[in-house]
Amino acid sequence: MAASLTGLLKPWTPRVLLVRWSRYNPYYLEPGPRKEVYHIPETELTPEQKEERELKSVRPIKAATNSVTSSVFNDPVLSKFVNMMMKDGDKIIAKGIITQTLENMKRKQVEKYHKAPEGKKAEIECNPYAIFHQALENCKPVIGLTSIQKGGKFYQVPIPLTDNRRRFLAMKWMITECRDNKHRRTLMYEKLSQELLAAFSKEGNVVKRKHELHKMAESNRAYAHYRWW
Amino acid sequence: ILKGQRYIYSTRLSGDSEQHQGQYYTVPPSHFHTVFPHGLPPRYQQQVKTFNEGCVMVRQPALELISHLKRADYSKPTLRYLLYGVKGSGKTMSLCHTVHYCSTQGWLVLHIPDAHLWVKNCKELLPSSYHASRFDQPIQASNWLRNFRTTNENFLSKIKLRQRYVWTKRESTEEGQPLGELVDMGVSRVKSSSDVVGAVLKELRLQAGGTEGGFRLAVAVDGVNGLWGRTTLKKEDKSPVAPEELTLVHNLRKMINNDWCGGAVIATLSQTGSLYAPSSAYLPQELLGEEGFDSMDPFIPVPVSLYSEKEFESCYLYYLDRHWLQHPHSQTEEGKKELIFLSNRNPSVLERLCAFL
Repeated sequence: MAASLTGLLKPWTPRVLLVRWSRYNPYYLEPGPRKEVYHIPETELTPEQKEERELKSVRPIKAATNSVTSSVFNDPVLSKFVNMMMKDGDKIIAKGIITQTLENMKRKQVEKYHKAPEGKKAEIECNPYAIFHQALENCKPVIGLTSIQKGGKFYQVPIPLTDNRRRFLAMKWMITECRDNKHRRTLMYEKLSQELLAAFSKEGNVVKRKHELHKMAESNRAYAHYRWW
Repeated sequence: ILKGQRYIYSTRLSGDSEQHQGQYYTVPPSHFHTVFPHGLPPRYQQQVKTFNEGCVMVRQPALELISHLKRADYSKPTLRYLLYGVKGSGKTMSLCHTVHYCSTQGWLVLHIPDAHLWVKNCKELLPSSYHASRFDQPIQASNWLRNFRTTNENFLSKIKLRQRYVWTKRESTEEGQPLGELVDMGVSRVKSSSDVVGAVLKELRLQAGGTEGGFRLAVAVDGVNGLWGRTTLKKEDKSPVAPEELTLVHNLRKMINNDWCGGAVIATLSQTGSLYAPSSAYLPQELLGEEGFDSMDPFIPVPVSLYSEKEFESCYLYYLDRHWLQHPHSQTEEGKKELIFLSNRNPSVLERLCAFL
């Protein structure tokens, strides 16, 4: 809808429209918080980048959200995870839990690293961000199931998933697993760090859930032709 | 700047030479259990456990204290040193550095980890048997005696008591008995442990400057402003307890007075555990109050500042070397500039930032 209306809309049309999720006039451009883009001198720009810069000097730009920073430590995947963990809009507590989780994972790995013999040191991964990304990769399902109605009955049909949906499912499973299956006295960051380290080495309940989904999809192969898209 | 110049992992204990300012020196692992059973900040203890070693940065305030201790005259009344600074600037760590130096030089160290712990959150408050209007705190006193015993094992058998102490109708400790017996009695008989603490402090005060078998006494108190403020404890009729009415606090105040000789009193102010003090207060006048300032006066103030550029570099390189800064961007120049900006070179804020980066 935005693509078709861009030609028709002009800057004097109202700024805010009733469109799903985004209330901005599509005439507005996205903000670009990365600093490196602006440090490139005039001479080294490619033609597309020159065009983009000219466009930015003419068109209005949307306001940036609070979660986006120009910091080098900004990670979009981690921000998404923090937003999914958040309850009642309390981002401070969610961000606190994630930072404690990262610290806990790093402490366990660095302790193991310092106590390991020389030969084994190279195999131990100490970077909590690398562990987090790898663990999430290991939890992402390749194929999903959806409910399709045919002849009065509902069948579970295997379908391909988009990247966003896979990432969402991995994060959702991780968070629900840590909220439900923990002891009353274990804190969230402790349980999360245990689960992430287990998923990094392809063990643990979340990876098991992914494998079960794959098995269900494999067993329902016969219904795959019910999908028409 | 060469990597090797900034920090040295030397196991030799001389953390007290001026030229090593900004560099780290290692505390041998055997010393941790004896010298610091209760003194170190909890985050530092976690760091020691993670890195499998304990390194302390040699900084200006600690060096100043150590040089004063080396040149002081111990036949004159005790000098009192007060470490003050903003929150997280390294006062407790400087105190621990000085305590370690004192114990390596063979002094008797009386380390009270946090005076605020004695004026709040006390479950059992018994009326004192010795003095009608005072209150005893058996748990805190017996814990402290246990840690004191671990710290000063070798002194316990050498020091003899100069007075007879009567605890109950059947129990008493005679003159000439070693101090170790008194301490053991305080640990086992929890009810009279506060009075035992008072007796121990009195004995040490009398014998510290003695010419025969003289030892030097270092009294290290963290959070000394807790001794003169208000407490959160209440009597049975819900009226508040003043700090003077607690035996432990009363005896400790007598210790901090400079009417004895043969040692030094090193104290730290602390806003973190303090009661009814605003969070922006860090100067001695604000935290000690009138009464506290008058009792501590005259003292030698030692300001503890945030990291200088050299010290920040050293800390950054130490974390890099210990594989603590794992984020790929934190090892670049950009990341380092961002760390300086976010932490403002405050040691504790930097430590918390680097923990998850």
